Amino acid sequence: MRETFALVGFFEILMVLFMQWEIYTKKIITTFSISSYIIALFLFYLGIVQNSPYVIALSLISAFVRGFFIPWYMKRRIVRDHWREREIKPVISTAMSIVISLLIVVFAYVLYRITFYNSIHLVEGSIPMALLLQGAFLIISRRNAFIQLIGYMTMENALFLFEGYLFPGLPFIVEAGIVLDLIGIIAIAGVVVRMMKNSSVEMNESDELRG
Amino acid sequence: MLVFLSVVQLLYVLLLSPLVFGILSKIEERIESKKGPSIFQPYYDLYKLFRKEIIVPNHSSPIFHRAPYVSFAMYSLLTLVLPIITAFPLQFGPTVDFIGGGLIFGAAALVKKLAALDSRSNYSHLGLSRAASMGALAEPITVLIFIMLGVISGTNNPYVINNVLQSSSKWYLSLTHWFVAGAFFMVLVVELGRLPIERHSTAELGMIDQGMSMEYSGMDLAFEKWGGYVKKFLLMSVFLNVYTMPFFVPMKLDLSSVFVYSGVHFLKLLGLVIGIALFEESISKFRLFKNFDYLAFAFSLAFLSFLAFYTTVGRV
Repeated sequence: MRETFALVGFFEILMVLFMQWEIYTKKIITTFSISSYIIALFLFYLGIVQNSPYVIALSLISAFVRGFFIPWYMKRRIVRDHWREREIKPVISTAMSIVISLLIVVFAYVLYRITFYNSIHLVEGSIPMALLLQGAFLIISRRNAFIQLIGYMTMENALFLFEGYLFPGLPFIVEAGIVLDLIGIIAIAGVVVRMMKNSSVEMNESDELRG
Repeated sequence: MLVFLSVVQLLYVLLLSPLVFGILSKIEERIESKKGPSIFQPYYDLYKLFRKEIIVPNHSSPIFHRAPYVSFAMYSLLTLVLPIITAFPLQFGPTVDFIGGGLIFGAAALVKKLAALDSRSNYSHLGLSRAASMGALAEPITVLIFIMLGVISGTNNPYVINNVLQSSSKWYLSLTHWFVAGAFFMVLVVELGRLPIERHSTAELGMIDQGMSMEYSGMDLAFEKWGGYVKKFLLMSVFLNVYTMPFFVPMKLDLSSVFVYSGVHFLKLLGLVIGIALFEESISKFRLFKNFDYLAFAFSLAFLSFLAFYTTVGRV
């Protein structure tokens, strides 16, 4: 089980690094969808191994909401907002942001070792912590509201991974609450994106040529 | 016997390396629904170039003329020390480890860069500056990869690494190993000069390696090209024999198994060539400055192997 968790965790870290590399919003959403499906699959496996219907239910809800519904909804929105299809001017250059994201993983490992590790005693616990901070950095490093939203949900995914593996006994209502909470966030984000679109500056030809 | 096998390995690499790239071109053309050149086209090209007149730029020094031969000799030397058709060290095998091999690769690249600088051609300088800036970032990644392989096997000897990965499924299936293999594949694409890093034609301003050899002609160009084929063949062989498919490589001195493996190795290379062709046909070229993002991601993979080691195996 520890190996599976490490495998899924590192794959998730790799996915976030890939999101950091990518500038096309649709590809980032698809990557997020894949990473959500993988977490859902892991939770499903965990539920079966631990014989816990709550974790199985959580994995199914997670797969539907994060793997399918939210990415589908966001892609539908993007069709309406063509100019948001890619990040034109990231806050930090792409190569630098990949390296910073990597350093964050190292930082999370060190932070975890001197804090939570003393009570949990599982070295793999640093993986969700790294994902959490990487998600936060994705939000900081991009201007595009869709990508920032993906960053937020990556943080949520990290929490899912953390509690699903390390605290399987956590009340189901809390976890399901987070999932439902996300739908609300998406609805608010839709409004915010619309407002941002109305107040956005026009793109010119030279912006098109930027990486 | 070891000397004999060294000669066999040298001939194997020198003679088959152009064929591999002829096959690669043919496959790519077939994917694009074109007929494409014969798979022996690189041999025809080399034959033609060997008979052509050599023209050297007026202002170049002797470095320019001698560089292709020096780099070709260096790549030939590397052929004698890397595990290509055997997993046991040949006559010159113990002389260098991975770092030593990397240094010879680096020295050959340096000679080529000096020659490009010496050609006084703007296009060569353009290619040179690009290759140098890419190389400055790609080399540390390669060193990181070697260090990580050293962590896995406890040595930097490619033969030992092959033996460890061939006999230990724990290491072969480990996250650490696969992150290293992924990083090496990304660096391999850079070194091979393939898409998305570089388009293999001289007809565009995105060229890197092609630009460096623009002033060469005749036999000089033939050796430059042939050396390039050998270098790429070696890197692909190392990728297969040490990183991803260390299986079936003969670990004991047995002539018949070495000859059988020579065929198997060529089949492995064909598999890799098909993979590269499909990869190239499904991706478009990056803009030049985007190449550095690519390298940053390759670095991330190499570095993640460290973290995977400490998280899963090392548990420090």
